[in-house]
Amino acid sequence: MPAPSTAPISTASAARERRPSAFDRAAFEAFLTTRNEPGWITDARRKAFDLYAQKLDEPLDPEEFKRVDLRAFRPDDYRLIPSTAAAASAEFASLLADRARFAGGVAHVNGQATRATLDEELSRQGVLFGDLATLAREHRAIFEPHLMTRAVRPETNRFSAWHAAFWTGGTVLYVPRRVEITEPLHSLIGLSEAGAADFSHTLVILEEDSSATLLEETASAHADAPGLHVGAVELLIGPNSQLRYVQLQNWSPRTYHFAHQAGHVDRGARLQWTVGGLGARLAHIHQHVSLDGAGAEAQVNGVTFATDRQHISYYTQQTHRAPSTTSDLLYKEVLRDKARVTWRGMIKVEKAAQKTDGYQRSDALLLSSTARADSIPGLEIEADDVRCTHGATAGRVDEEQIFYCMCRAMSRFEAMHMIVEGFFHSIYDRIPVEAVRDTLSKTVERKLGIGR
Amino acid sequence: MPDFEEIARVDEIPPGGRKSVIIDETPALLLRVGDAFYAIEDVCTHDGQPLTDGPLQGCEITCPRHGARFDIRTGKPLCMPATEPVRTFEIEVRGNVVFARPRD
Amino acid sequence: MATDLKSDVGVGDYQYGFHDPTDQYVFKSRKGLDEAIVRQISEMKNEPAWMTEFRLEALKIFFQKPMPTWGGNLADLNFQDIFYFVRASEGQERDWSEVPEDIRKTYDRLGIPEAEKKYLAGVKAQYESEVVYGSLKEDLANKGVIFTDTDSALKDHPELFREYFATIIPSSDNKFAALNSAVWSGGSFIYVPKGVHIDFPLQAYFRINSENMGQFERTLIIVDEGASVHYVEGCTAPTYSSESLHSAVVEIIVKRNARCRYTTIQNWSSNVYNLVTKRAVAYADSVMEWVDGNLGSKLTMKYPAIYLMEPGARGETLSIAFAGKGQHQDAGAKMVHCAPHTSSRIVSKSISKSGGRASYRGLVKVNRDAKECKSNVVCDALILDPTSRSDTYPYIEVEEDQVSIEHEASVSKIAEEQLFYLMSRGLSETEASSMIVTGFIEPLVKELPMEYAVEMNRLIELQMEGSVG
Repeated sequence: MPAPSTAPISTASAARERRPSAFDRAAFEAFLTTRNEPGWITDARRKAFDLYAQKLDEPLDPEEFKRVDLRAFRPDDYRLIPSTAAAASAEFASLLADRARFAGGVAHVNGQATRATLDEELSRQGVLFGDLATLAREHRAIFEPHLMTRAVRPETNRFSAWHAAFWTGGTVLYVPRRVEITEPLHSLIGLSEAGAADFSHTLVILEEDSSATLLEETASAHADAPGLHVGAVELLIGPNSQLRYVQLQNWSPRTYHFAHQAGHVDRGARLQWTVGGLGARLAHIHQHVSLDGAGAEAQVNGVTFATDRQHISYYTQQTHRAPSTTSDLLYKEVLRDKARVTWRGMIKVEKAAQKTDGYQRSDALLLSSTARADSIPGLEIEADDVRCTHGATAGRVDEEQIFYCMCRAMSRFEAMHMIVEGFFHSIYDRIPVEAVRDTLSKTVERKLGIGR
Repeated sequence: MPDFEEIARVDEIPPGGRKSVIIDETPALLLRVGDAFYAIEDVCTHDGQPLTDGPLQGCEITCPRHGARFDIRTGKPLCMPATEPVRTFEIEVRGNVVFARPRD
Repeated sequence: MATDLKSDVGVGDYQYGFHDPTDQYVFKSRKGLDEAIVRQISEMKNEPAWMTEFRLEALKIFFQKPMPTWGGNLADLNFQDIFYFVRASEGQERDWSEVPEDIRKTYDRLGIPEAEKKYLAGVKAQYESEVVYGSLKEDLANKGVIFTDTDSALKDHPELFREYFATIIPSSDNKFAALNSAVWSGGSFIYVPKGVHIDFPLQAYFRINSENMGQFERTLIIVDEGASVHYVEGCTAPTYSSESLHSAVVEIIVKRNARCRYTTIQNWSSNVYNLVTKRAVAYADSVMEWVDGNLGSKLTMKYPAIYLMEPGARGETLSIAFAGKGQHQDAGAKMVHCAPHTSSRIVSKSISKSGGRASYRGLVKVNRDAKECKSNVVCDALILDPTSRSDTYPYIEVEEDQVSIEHEASVSKIAEEQLFYLMSRGLSETEASSMIVTGFIEPLVKELPMEYAVEMNRLIELQMEGSVG
């Protein structure tokens, strides 16, 4: 129940005590000197830092953060790492890299770009795919209007401001009009040093009538190294374009992950967005999909498997701004041990968005009596000619189903595996990229304890 | 089971006083009643928000928002709207140092 | 003194828009709220010291607590601009003929005497903060059933009263529970002894009459093991141009194997703030049901709750909300599963029209170790025109795996095909819409006592025609 909280989890004084020394004004100015950036970028960073400093003294929005306990999070424990040769050659157990033929690949380790490749043919057509630090500098006219101007904005809260001040790089994809990229592109965000902080920013711009698929994953080189990711993802899909975007979050269980992610879908365009929540100690994803033009469509899929003491939190919103738009969100979560998953989702339909079809559903499967699932769907509807529904379920594996499997000579363990597979199936069916389906399936298996 | 970890010095908390600490990566509240120390998870089981500033009377802490009361020795909820116990931690005082660890 | 209602208010006909000359009142406190007023209330009622202390403590809590930052818009609520206590006549009457003339007239217009004859076991009539009239049928009295007003219960059944009072909703629960705890007056007290089944609904009526009048009734119902009761409350109030506040508290204890149903039809006039805390605890193998109809008021915030305390307990809430022009119904239900083998069901139907806003707000919480629980929530909302608004805010918190929890909600307008079908059979669009809306809420209406069902359907018709509100 929305009990009014007079003491938000992060009080102003507590925030002051924890103010990070790796991210204070002196550190920020030192950081700026390591960048080789045009004025327009530096100015934006400075404004963002001022916002960040101011917002550290303000409480976080209770609606978003009341179920996310940040008191054990110490920004002091993390820092930006200068680029090193060691980073460049760090080995990552990539989930996706070997599963398909990619038309290009970008990798960042500890915030620094270590690789950027793109098929010749696509470069010739004007496609840009590489790291943000380089491309923003080289193509100001393309990126300045879009970089953190409407999708993810610095003023949203202290995390977005923090990111906007300290972003180090990230994967950028720009697709010109009428270019269709059939093979997927790959992006890896890696952390290889204990205490490293990553502020990668993913930016995708699709001009009219174009299409692309971007598969992104996060990975830690060491399973027991603490890490921090304060990231952002901006997806700007032009009229009649199509984007398939996947982000598989697979950090070590000692990583904190804060992400602001927003997709804007223009008229007649389609976005298919899949998020995988597998790693991290605490992950909070603020995900917004905005249907801005008539006929826009968005499908959002979430696959989460939380174990041990993980806490994965989603704060999602589907906003319908224009008529005849469709959004369809399906999140499936499996929880075990003492894990906790929180999903707070809202469908907002503005007055002009007549003939909206909006759906959201979250299903939680609990495999232990010490796990906890909170689902808070929501609807705020201001147009009348609409169809909006939401649903949420939470429960356990049906004992009858297990019994049925065991009668067919399966061990309980195998039966459980099959059922969890089956549980995620409706999501896998919605993802037409085989590499992703395989990856998710295998990763879930591994987490379940059935290594193969 | 994790080891005991040091969370405070005896002389930094007067009788009736408290300190916000982290035990086993969990925000907790260390309270001193007379010469005895108790530690509870700093979350009210009714609304999931902190108990940090709740008034303490004897061994009972009251949640400042809706009046739920808990026995800090056992974690037991004592009145509505709380129905679930709050988690407690094991305490050991060695000399001037207070140690804590989660219970089984 | 009597005022010309129409010119005073200027908002068109309101079906129940009438009131009595207020110079019949015996006593009215001055406007505003402070310790002196609370002491005065307690003194006038001749209360034991512990109750006076309780009230004063609650007043402190009320002033300390902040206003809620969620729900409806309470910005225009001015606590100091309200009368908190009015006593309309001395003592309790037993017979209709003894009730003061104009009060009787009021109830005549509401149709009480017929209802009394046909359906009711006893009536407690609340008129401006105190219970003026009540009659308890003899056989109930013989069975040991206590059905009286809360003020009398405090005097006549002190141990029983004190054992349960404020144990379900403590003063500190929320700001409006604290307010009620400080200034409560009237309300019903019901005790049903073990094994006693009351076959017909017990009822009460409420009215707000004077300008700036608040209603702070406090109801306490205890259903002992194996017993059952159905309590019905319905209220109407005239329209005035200044604000009115209704902040009630209802506590219900349903013991092992007992059953309780509490039905409310609320139709406060459109300037009333209706902020209510209702909570029941249900013990082993018991059943608790809330039937909640929200038709009136400017803003209603009400979330009847059931705490399922022991195995076998079952809770059910049926909720209808109709938000017309200028109204915000922020209502719903809360179910807290504290024990294994408990089940809950929430059915919510809401309609928004002419710019009204209907919000469902609910909670289903399953505590750790509450194994084998089931919960099912269905929320359906109709928006009837582009200026209206509908929201759904369900909260689901599950801390146990051996459970089955389901929630679904949908928002839409009246289906074109349905409308077309009815209109092609000769109904006008208004009539067709009205029929569809009536059908939409039918599952709840059929659970209401007959005269409420009739009243409800008639009110919906009037709302659909646009001639009310």
